[in-house]
Amino acid sequence: MATVVPDDHLLERGDANAQLDADLEHARLGVGRVVLVGGEAGVGKTSLIRSFTTRHESEVRVLVGACEALFTPRPLGPVYDIVQGLDHWTAETPGTDAERVRFFGALLEELRSHPTVAVFEDVHWADEATLDALKYLGRRIDSAPSLLVLTFRDDEVGANHPLRTVLGELPSGSTTRVSLAPLSPDGVAELARRAERPAYGLYEATGGNPFFVTEVLAAGGGDIPETVVDAVLARATRLSDGGRRLLDAVAVVPGSIEIWLLEEVAGGDIDDLAECLASGMLTPTGVGVGFRHELARLAIERSLTPDRRLSLNETALRALAEQPAEQQDLSALAHHADAAGNSEAVVRFAPAAAAHATAVGAHREAAEQYARALSYHVTEDAERLALLDRYSTAASLTGRYADALEARQEAIAIARALGDRLRLGENLARLPQACISLGLNDLAEEASREAIEILEQLQPGRELALAYAFQGYLRMLSRDNDEGVRWGERGLALAVEVEDPEIHAFALNAIGTSHVMAGRIEQGREYLQRSLDVSLEQGLHSRVAAAYSMLASGLGEMYELEASEKAAHDFIAFAAEHDMDTAYIRSWLAATLVYLGRWDEATAFAQELLADPAVSAISRITALIALGRVRARRGDPGGADVLDEALEVSEAGGHLQRLGHVHAARAEGAWLAGDRDRTFRDARAVYDLALEKRHLWFAGELAYWQWRCGELESAPEWIAEPFALQIAGEARRAADAWNARGCPYEAARALAESDDEALLREALDVFESLGARPAAHGVRQALRERGVSVPRGPRPSTRENPANLTARELEVLGLVADGLRNPEIAARLVVSKRTVDHHVSAILRKLDSKTRGEAVAAAGRRGLLEDRQSAEPT
Amino acid sequence: METYVILRRSGWDDGAELAEAAERSRAEGERMPDDVAWIRSYVLDETDGRVGTVCIYQASSPEAIRRHASEAVLPVDEIVKVVDTVVVRPDPVPTAIDQGGES
Repeated sequence: MATVVPDDHLLERGDANAQLDADLEHARLGVGRVVLVGGEAGVGKTSLIRSFTTRHESEVRVLVGACEALFTPRPLGPVYDIVQGLDHWTAETPGTDAERVRFFGALLEELRSHPTVAVFEDVHWADEATLDALKYLGRRIDSAPSLLVLTFRDDEVGANHPLRTVLGELPSGSTTRVSLAPLSPDGVAELARRAERPAYGLYEATGGNPFFVTEVLAAGGGDIPETVVDAVLARATRLSDGGRRLLDAVAVVPGSIEIWLLEEVAGGDIDDLAECLASGMLTPTGVGVGFRHELARLAIERSLTPDRRLSLNETALRALAEQPAEQQDLSALAHHADAAGNSEAVVRFAPAAAAHATAVGAHREAAEQYARALSYHVTEDAERLALLDRYSTAASLTGRYADALEARQEAIAIARALGDRLRLGENLARLPQACISLGLNDLAEEASREAIEILEQLQPGRELALAYAFQGYLRMLSRDNDEGVRWGERGLALAVEVEDPEIHAFALNAIGTSHVMAGRIEQGREYLQRSLDVSLEQGLHSRVAAAYSMLASGLGEMYELEASEKAAHDFIAFAAEHDMDTAYIRSWLAATLVYLGRWDEATAFAQELLADPAVSAISRITALIALGRVRARRGDPGGADVLDEALEVSEAGGHLQRLGHVHAARAEGAWLAGDRDRTFRDARAVYDLALEKRHLWFAGELAYWQWRCGELESAPEWIAEPFALQIAGEARRAADAWNARGCPYEAARALAESDDEALLREALDVFESLGARPAAHGVRQALRERGVSVPRGPRPSTRENPANLTARELEVLGLVADGLRNPEIAARLVVSKRTVDHHVSAILRKLDSKTRGEAVAAAGRRGLLEDRQSAEPT
Repeated sequence: METYVILRRSGWDDGAELAEAAERSRAEGERMPDDVAWIRSYVLDETDGRVGTVCIYQASSPEAIRRHASEAVLPVDEIVKVVDTVVVRPDPVPTAIDQGGES
């Protein structure tokens, strides 16, 4: 008779339990937390959580969801488990991005309305949609009197594991990490004592892993097994033949198996189930039975002979497939079909599982399911073509561009071989998507041209609309602005005709950006705003991001700085609501702030981005440029280094929008360092390209630096007005033009080029207030040459530099100092609470404070709270 | 962390004002220990009758130095990176550390 080891009294978990209890108490006061419980497999994470929830089940609602150890788990599976436990849950299964956010929002409301402990187990196996849910809830849990408890195998979550990104985005202030260690030798000895078995050699063999220890103790016998698998198998041999066979049946279904299914898979006879349960190898679960631990299931599953595994999975497959359609678990069907090697079933169920995964936003799982189907359906026919098409799209959505490209190219080859011109055209039209992300611009161009050629010979439809729109986009990327408009308009007209909102928004974006880049700012903004409106209306979140992105970066590149900054902040607020990435926008915000003369803010954004290794090359380049320009303008060390790195990274792409920006910044840096030769070299490096593309601002700045070196013959009349005025020697008018755009440094630089003592003094004042040491030095030199010596003025008090808080932020800060909470501030200022949260975060960041109290103290020290109107409601 | 020289020329009226600034500097430095570490300073007798300093800091970046200065309300004239330190003779003026206590 196998010995069952009692685990009613957990050893060596006192600290962990105390932490959980404390966090729950804290949460119940209204400020929820995320508790991350990490530890190796078998260390007792589930046992800990179970004892915790049992302790508190009379005070709080407990909801549990478990992630499955499947290659392609059921998307949102654990979330659905959780909402099963809710009484009045009405939210529908989400089918679009917008619906998904509403779904998560409804779940958050449940956590807010009722103190809850929501447990997600084994999140290292979580599917992409569940990870999104965890990110959504985790970032907002502090507004609920609830705990979000996540358990995971921390030793399995490496640098590239998707969970790592999610963990990194949880606010540290509301996250607790509990790390469970294996038992000490004393702990192991105690377990042995309770089982009335000898402890000798047990710690050395098991390393203190509680699961391993309990398996060994339960197995009995004289020898201690070497591995966990051996221990589990040893314990299993103590069952009768019938019981042992039953374990096999349970082992092929990860997680837990419903009784009716077990009956089918076991061939009708489950009499020995009682024995398995009594032995402790299986335990009852909410819906059926399962192994006590995934490690045990794996051990048994791996001990199956290949034949037995195939046949058990085949039986499970057949039983599950007989269920009515609305009850079918597609990812389980696909899993068993694959494990049974049943090609027909895989090709039937995997794509269906993929489509379902896509609908709930589990794109990684969708891609895996399509890949699974492709591995079975190898005939190069129309069906494989369709699978490749969908796989490629899913892979792109998860950032696996190389895989997406390969699949798309195979699809193209098959379409050609089959003579299917429509599919050929469609896949050629979609190829640029992956190419652009990999920097393969020539390939993208070729494919786009051929797509149009082929599709124009067929009945015009959405495929041709897409091809036109992509061509417009490609032309815009290479700054062939007028062509970008032309092709974009053709795509737009057709998209409207076929009523495809996504292509409609895409085309509007390409046209708008092209107009902006050509200097037709108002027209460009109008189109981009329309693109934004369509995308918001239709809930197309990635298109929303693209619209804001072009508004911020495009307008920034054209020195429409106020508009660019506003678009950046609008997007950041939107992205916060939808947990989207904002790195690219923030890099442009950094650059924009440089030109607006707000250098501390600019460098803060830039450094935050540069500290994050996951940030894309494009965002990195712009952040490096921002940092490099500020260091050069201040005369601080390290400017040349970051601009060298920026050049290195941008040379790979060869695009004007990076190279132009980089070389302009480098020319400036070289000039401020007194290196005329290098200034000229950088200014010339990409000048011809800038002229060819008629880029007003890059051509303008590069011409300007050549002029400063005395090497400019003439500049085209279309270059950006402020630079043109400087080159024409109109210092005052140039400065006015710069000031109109909000650029104090550039305005002062223009004044510094004049001969007029008054203008030079004005320039010096601005340079000194900005801390632009090299430029200030140059002006002093010029004044000295005129016989004018300017003594150092009284040191500007740093009270005049209020940490660069905006007027609105100062206003919010004042209300914080008056003791108002965020919801009250929102009510007072008649803005949303989310807006106030955003302002408070910015204030904390700018004053380098972790709490509101710290920020108020810092502000007081710096005199920011004086001269304030008293906070009376108006 | 790299080593930097910071020049704060004619930053204060007199020694008393400087002493207050030094205390702010120390306190602020404690709030950002991973970003700046104040090593030592020389107090300068400026020709305009005011006092200034040459400060040696270790810092994660020039921007960290500026952030520290901004919070502690200290001026920053120039930041230069140090690539090597050559000590020829010990400091002629005994420092607080040498004397084993507060000066």
